[in-house]
Amino acid sequence: MRRPPWLPDRWRLGLGLLLGPYLVGSVLLVAIPGLLSLGLAFTTYDGLTPPVFVGFTNFRLLASDPLVPVALGNTLLFIVLAVPLRIGGALVLALLLQRRRSGAGTARVAVYLPAVIPDVAYALVWLWVFNPLFGPVNLALGALGLPMPGWLADPSTAKIPFVVMAAFTLGEGFVVLLAARKGVPAAIYEAGALEGGGSWALFRGLTLPLLMPWLVLLTFRDIILGFQWTFGPATVMTGGGPYYSTFFVPQLIYEEAFDRFRYGTGSALMLLVAVMSGALMVGLWLILRARRYGDVA
Amino acid sequence: MSPEIGARSSVARALHFLLLVAVTALFLAPLLWVVSASLRAPGLAPPRGIDWIPDPVSLAAWERLVITLPFGRYLGNSLLVVAIAVPVSLLTASMAGFAMAQLAAPLRRALVLVSVALLLVPVTALWLTRFLLFEAVGITGTPLALVAPAIMGGSPLFVLLYFWAFRRVPAELVEAARLEGAGAVSVWWRVGVPLVGPTSVAVGVLAFLLFWSDFMSPTLYLRTDEWATLTIGLRQLQQLDRSDWPMLMAGAVLLAVPAVSLFAVAQRWFLRDDRLAETIGG
Repeated sequence: MRRPPWLPDRWRLGLGLLLGPYLVGSVLLVAIPGLLSLGLAFTTYDGLTPPVFVGFTNFRLLASDPLVPVALGNTLLFIVLAVPLRIGGALVLALLLQRRRSGAGTARVAVYLPAVIPDVAYALVWLWVFNPLFGPVNLALGALGLPMPGWLADPSTAKIPFVVMAAFTLGEGFVVLLAARKGVPAAIYEAGALEGGGSWALFRGLTLPLLMPWLVLLTFRDIILGFQWTFGPATVMTGGGPYYSTFFVPQLIYEEAFDRFRYGTGSALMLLVAVMSGALMVGLWLILRARRYGDVA
Repeated sequence: MSPEIGARSSVARALHFLLLVAVTALFLAPLLWVVSASLRAPGLAPPRGIDWIPDPVSLAAWERLVITLPFGRYLGNSLLVVAIAVPVSLLTASMAGFAMAQLAAPLRRALVLVSVALLLVPVTALWLTRFLLFEAVGITGTPLALVAPAIMGGSPLFVLLYFWAFRRVPAELVEAARLEGAGAVSVWWRVGVPLVGPTSVAVGVLAFLLFWSDFMSPTLYLRTDEWATLTIGLRQLQQLDRSDWPMLMAGAVLLAVPAVSLFAVAQRWFLRDDRLAETIGG
């Protein structure tokens, strides 16, 4: 049976067939629209008249806008605080709840729950939880005789409710890690336990390395989401205030692109965000590779 | 087992149970508040402090909800979207993940990188240009615009999840099937898919959530109310009367219940399905 060398064999042809829908769909639905949109970063475009190429003007405009560093700083601070809490929390909860125990099923459903409550409703809940006068947090602090911060009303504490809310919405990471942990053969753990590993040693030596690809992926996704997630909650809870302390990047993008119809500067901001999250991911990747956790691809 | 160790482990088990109860309470409390808020009488001030059971308990918000919106139709449309989009996403994501896991290093690494890069594209960057694309193809205003991402597996994230799950499938199993003359598609379906049950459950749950709670696509790509989904209904409630938040909360409960119920059923499979684990271990 001979075939011309340029023709891929049946196996590779099958693999191509399996990959096809994903590749075609990604190009059509993400790559092309994304590149077009990011290309608009070098134009002025109001959505009505055709875009006009203006080079780096939009980036110069952004550099002179005092709100840009504020929004970027707020967002980066939010990411640095929220992402470790979300990933760490999802990991701890997934390991705690992965076994068949009485009450574990109910707890799994409870942990997943915040991920499915619509943003607007969930943000209203936290608006009440952190109400300075009659919210449960300050009632508890007051009962203990501790100081009662103004939370969302005070620029120095206004980001904390956002971080807490994000930390509670870890259902998706939890599901991913639960599935990843269930895919690990029990025999590996039995062997590890026979070698006399304590539970901390098993965690460090087995669980963590085995789950590392999933943890890296979730962290990457959380960094990307961190640049976008705050939009809904901020609309409901603060509108960006007080004194721009909860003014995050998505609000800035939305106001530029969709309120003021300056799609060019909006796209320039999106490009900036994509580059920044890419840089954060590369940095994290280098750290992980230096610690020899790099074999994920 | 000595009685000493037995006593210690039963104490440990009790502590473990208490921990589970605490976790449950902590994560459940916000939802209970949403339910309780939906049961408050109209015009009543928001609850102060920890006021779980409204006085009087009123179903007025739920009655208004049913009168205000065509909920049957919205629910039907939402169910139609997930009924198409979730199975298609599961198929395309697992196909792509399996193929990626079988490829050799340079191409495999490149595809992983491409997938991560695709994740990097901000959603806001897709709003306008996807609309133009759907308009050009002629699917704006139809539910096809809502389920379209299913052909790329729903999200590159789902493809990557499948990729790592399939990488755990021992190469000998795939080799054996190949030697018997099976093609890639048949190895994917007969050898691969049955071994990654937990991942399929997880991706199914996440894909359901992605399409079920998608609020931007229907806002951007639908023109009439005909195909509107539940998320559009919630948005309408929000715009209709900002002060009527008991009704908004009732709407939120309606939107959350199907997604939670699905997870409550699905999470049992996490415990049952350990076939890959057994295959490798045994």
